[in-house]
Amino acid sequence: MTIREAADALRARRVSAAELAAAANARISRLNSKLNAFITVTGEQAREEARQADAELAAGRDRGPLHGIPVAVKDLFLTRGVRTTCGSKVYEDFVPAIDAAVVERLRAAGAVMFGKLNMHELAYGVTSANPHFGPVRNPWNVEHSPGGSSGGSGAAVAAQMVYAAMGSDTGGSIRIPAAFCGVVGLKPTYGRVSRYGALPLAYSLDHMGPMARTVRDAAMVLNAIAGYDRRDPTSSRHPAVDYIPDDGCSIRRLRIGFPENFYFDHLDPGVESSVRGVFARAQSLGAVVKPVRVPDVAALNAVGRVIQLAEASAVAEPHLEHREKFGPDVLALLDQGRLLPATDYINAQRLRRKLSREFDQLWSEVDCLIAPTTPITAPRVAEKTVRLGGRDEDVRLATTRLVRGINVLGLPALSIPCGLASNGLPIGIQIIGPAWDEALILRIGAALEDGGVGIPPCPTAEVL
Amino acid sequence: MRDWKAIAKASGIEIDSVEPLEVLEAAFRPLVKDLAPDVEPATELRLEEDGE
Repeated sequence: MTIREAADALRARRVSAAELAAAANARISRLNSKLNAFITVTGEQAREEARQADAELAAGRDRGPLHGIPVAVKDLFLTRGVRTTCGSKVYEDFVPAIDAAVVERLRAAGAVMFGKLNMHELAYGVTSANPHFGPVRNPWNVEHSPGGSSGGSGAAVAAQMVYAAMGSDTGGSIRIPAAFCGVVGLKPTYGRVSRYGALPLAYSLDHMGPMARTVRDAAMVLNAIAGYDRRDPTSSRHPAVDYIPDDGCSIRRLRIGFPENFYFDHLDPGVESSVRGVFARAQSLGAVVKPVRVPDVAALNAVGRVIQLAEASAVAEPHLEHREKFGPDVLALLDQGRLLPATDYINAQRLRRKLSREFDQLWSEVDCLIAPTTPITAPRVAEKTVRLGGRDEDVRLATTRLVRGINVLGLPALSIPCGLASNGLPIGIQIIGPAWDEALILRIGAALEDGGVGIPPCPTAEVL
Repeated sequence: MRDWKAIAKASGIEIDSVEPLEVLEAAFRPLVKDLAPDVEPATELRLEEDGE
C-alpha cells in the first residue's frame, strides 16, 4: 500500500491508524533482527500516537496525507526524549531535549514515528556496516549492502516496515541506498529542507530528504518538511510549493538531457542497459531526449571530497581524542581531513563556485538530466573492489562516483528504481534538475512511474 | 606529490593509509592551477540569486 492508498483507506474508515501501527510494529518485530534497519524502535510511543491520530480524525481534525502514517527517521535527527546516536559511540547515550525541524514538521503533519534508523557511523560512508550497532542488510538479498549512509532508511522502506523514512545526503547518502534497496529517494535543493537538529557531517554539503515507496509518496513527505526555518542559517526563503504530481501528469515535449560524457563511463552492463531503457520509455511518453555534454563531474567529485574531508573533521575534532570510539574507516577519514591545508579547502570552495556557474548553463539546453544513480547494483557486504569497464575500482568510490558532484552544486536529484539486474538486485536512475525545481523532477519521476518504469515490491522481505 | 605520511607524523597523527589524500592530490591539484583570482569561495552556498 502507498501513503496515498493508506490515507484514503483511513478516511474511508476501512482501516485505522492503530491498525496501520500494529501492522508496522509486527513487521518491524519480524524483520528487524534480520535487517538491523532500526537502532531504536519506539513501538509503544507509536501505538499511542496512532491512537491520538485516530481520535483526531474522528473529531474532524485532519492533518493531511501523512496523518496516521507510519514513518521513521535516520538516527541523526534529534528526537526529544529518544536516544539519537548518529550511529556512533560518541553519541551512544545522547538523549536530546528537542526534536529536529524535520521531526517537528512530520509530527505536525500527523505522521506516526516508529523510531531511529541505523546508518553508516556518523553518516561518513556508504556501506551502513556499522561497527557499533551492527550492519544493515539489504532486504533484496541480505548478503548484499543496502548502501549508505541512510542504509536503515532504505532497508526499512524496501521491507515495508514503514511507509516513508527520512535520510540525509552529503555525497549520495539518500540516493545510493534508494538505488540499492529499490525505493524512491529525494535529495532536495540545498536550503529547501531545514538542517536544524540534524547532526552534521559536512555543513555545506548536507541535505535532508525523504525515502518512500513511490514518487508521489516522497512528494507528500516533501510537502510536509519543506520550507524556511530561521534556525538553519542556510535555510532558503524561496517559496515552497505543492510538490505532489497530478494524476496523469505528462512529460510531453520536456527536454531530457542524456549525458554524453562521464555518467555512462564504466557502468555494469546490466545497469547501462536498464538506464538506456528509461530514455526509450521517456521518448515514448513524448519527451525529447537531447544528448548533452556535462561540465567536469570528476572535478566536482574531487571538490566534494576535499570539502567533506575538511568539514567532517572540523565537526568531529572535539571527539577525536577518544579514538577508541570510532570505527577504523571513519577514523582514517577524520584523521586525513585534519591534514588538509586551509588553502585546499578555500580553493575547493572557489572551484565549487566556478563549476556551479558552468553547470547552470546546462539548464538553457535541457529541463533535466537523467543518469544512473550508481554504476553497480548493491555489492556484497565485504566486497572491496569491483571490475567495471576493464578496470578495478574501489567499491566506495564507484558507489559515490555518479552522485557526489550534485551535492557540491546543491541541486535537487531524485532516484527512482528502474529495473532489476540479472542478480535480482534493483537498479536506480537519478533525475537531476535546476535549483528549486523539485516539483519538475518529481513530475518527471511520477510520469515515468505511471509509464511503467519501476520494479515489483521487494519479495525477499516476505520470505525472511 | 606531498608526503602525506610525513605530514601526518609531523602533526602527531598515526595513520596507516593516506589513500584518499593521495588520490585527491592527483585529481584536485591540477584544477587549482586554472582558478582565476577573482573566483571567490562559495563557503556558504546560497542559491536564491540563481533560483528566484
